[in-house]
Amino acid sequence: MEKEANPVYKNQAYGQFRELFYSYDKDGKFEKRVGYHGEPDRVTLQQAWDLFNDRIEAARQKVKAGKASPILYYMEKTLVTPMDLSMHAGIIVWRIKRHLKPKVFNRLGEKTLKKYAEAFNITIDQLKNVD
Amino acid sequence: MEKDKIMIDYNHRQAGHCESGATSNLFNFYGIEMSEPMAFGIGNGLFFSYLPFLKLQYAPMMSFRNLPNVVFHRSMKYLGVDATVIKKFKDQKESMAALDRNLEKGIPTGMQVGVFNLTFFPPEYRMHYNMHNLVAFGKEGNDYWVSDTVMEFPQRISSEDLQRVRYAKGVFAPKGKMYWINSINKDLDIKSAVEKAIKKTVYEMLKVPFPLNGVKGIHWLAKDLKKWPKKHGNETASFYLGQIIRMSEDFGTGGAGFRYIYGAFLKETGEKFNNPDLMAASNLMGNAANRWREFTYLSARNCKNRSKPEEDYGKLSDMLHEIANMEKEVYVKLDKIKI
Repeated sequence: MEKEANPVYKNQAYGQFRELFYSYDKDGKFEKRVGYHGEPDRVTLQQAWDLFNDRIEAARQKVKAGKASPILYYMEKTLVTPMDLSMHAGIIVWRIKRHLKPKVFNRLGEKTLKKYAEAFNITIDQLKNVD
Repeated sequence: MEKDKIMIDYNHRQAGHCESGATSNLFNFYGIEMSEPMAFGIGNGLFFSYLPFLKLQYAPMMSFRNLPNVVFHRSMKYLGVDATVIKKFKDQKESMAALDRNLEKGIPTGMQVGVFNLTFFPPEYRMHYNMHNLVAFGKEGNDYWVSDTVMEFPQRISSEDLQRVRYAKGVFAPKGKMYWINSINKDLDIKSAVEKAIKKTVYEMLKVPFPLNGVKGIHWLAKDLKKWPKKHGNETASFYLGQIIRMSEDFGTGGAGFRYIYGAFLKETGEKFNNPDLMAASNLMGNAANRWREFTYLSARNCKNRSKPEEDYGKLSDMLHEIANMEKEVYVKLDKIKI
């Protein structure tokens, strides 16, 4: 039995990895085939990521202009809502929403920052600075 | 220490759906030939629910499959196999130690994981989706060998990464859930299992007294779909429409929201028990699945041209109503079948 190491999927066009698909033809046969995703799948994935990337970019601009705290940027980057983040970080939602204000964020203590950093899987330095 | 490398002789076969693939592979490991559609059918994989009040990645949530771990759990229950499911571990380290102990005993162990931090997954598929399944079958140093049936080949994942995905948070958080088969009786009563499974699926798709589940759910979705462009504007409507396609085609479904796999299951059982009614049902299911695929092709056009929809939403909605009726026909037929 051949056990191959993982092929690396990086910077590929959407839907460029082989999956197993079933199909049904006129003779009443169900067939399996391994292949790439079809057009609709690629279009919708592209659509989703366009929206996500737009949101991430908008959040970055907002943070740079000083209108929001870096938490907003990292939230968009990891595709979470305040509700999800509250589960990840263990901080209740209205506090998270309050921490989105830069003024409040700058006063946060180490302990809270660490909770956020762990939830986003980054260091505290990275959390404070959005590149 | 000589125990640096453990490798169980586990046969990785690619499958359309992660959990039924894992279940069928586990059956094969214990010497029982079981195809993926069979595991999917017996495990009640087929489902539909539409939950507009929950948002998944900024769009209403809908699901074409059953809850996580249902496929494994029900197929074990119906076939009467001795299996263990540990729902959650409080201590993350303890859960990894339990996995190690299993591997040392030579038991391939299935786990529920979240997709977002899964390192070997293609980046564009990494969204917060916690209903994925892996089977670990080896350990080499700090790395685990896992069989993810969506991928073509077995993959390696480091211990830290595996721990992170096993404790992904959010909707349906895995909480370190793991499952394995203890022992298997060689002569399984597949007939009664199939009977029970079909009965349950028919119940879930037709008879649950809740309007967002099963066939009623598809009708509800069709009704909502018509209203989206007026209510949310064309952009958002096309994004929501894209969500239907993403859920039914993209995330390891084998195509058309598992309808093909279920059709293949009906066909296989029909051949096995020589039952023409099941064969007829499988053909109807195949047609419904093809109709689903046509629906995705048509609606993908709207996703391509987001602000100017090419297809009328009213037409797409009618198509969904038609699909729901086609599926209903299958379940009504299945309801009367005696195997």
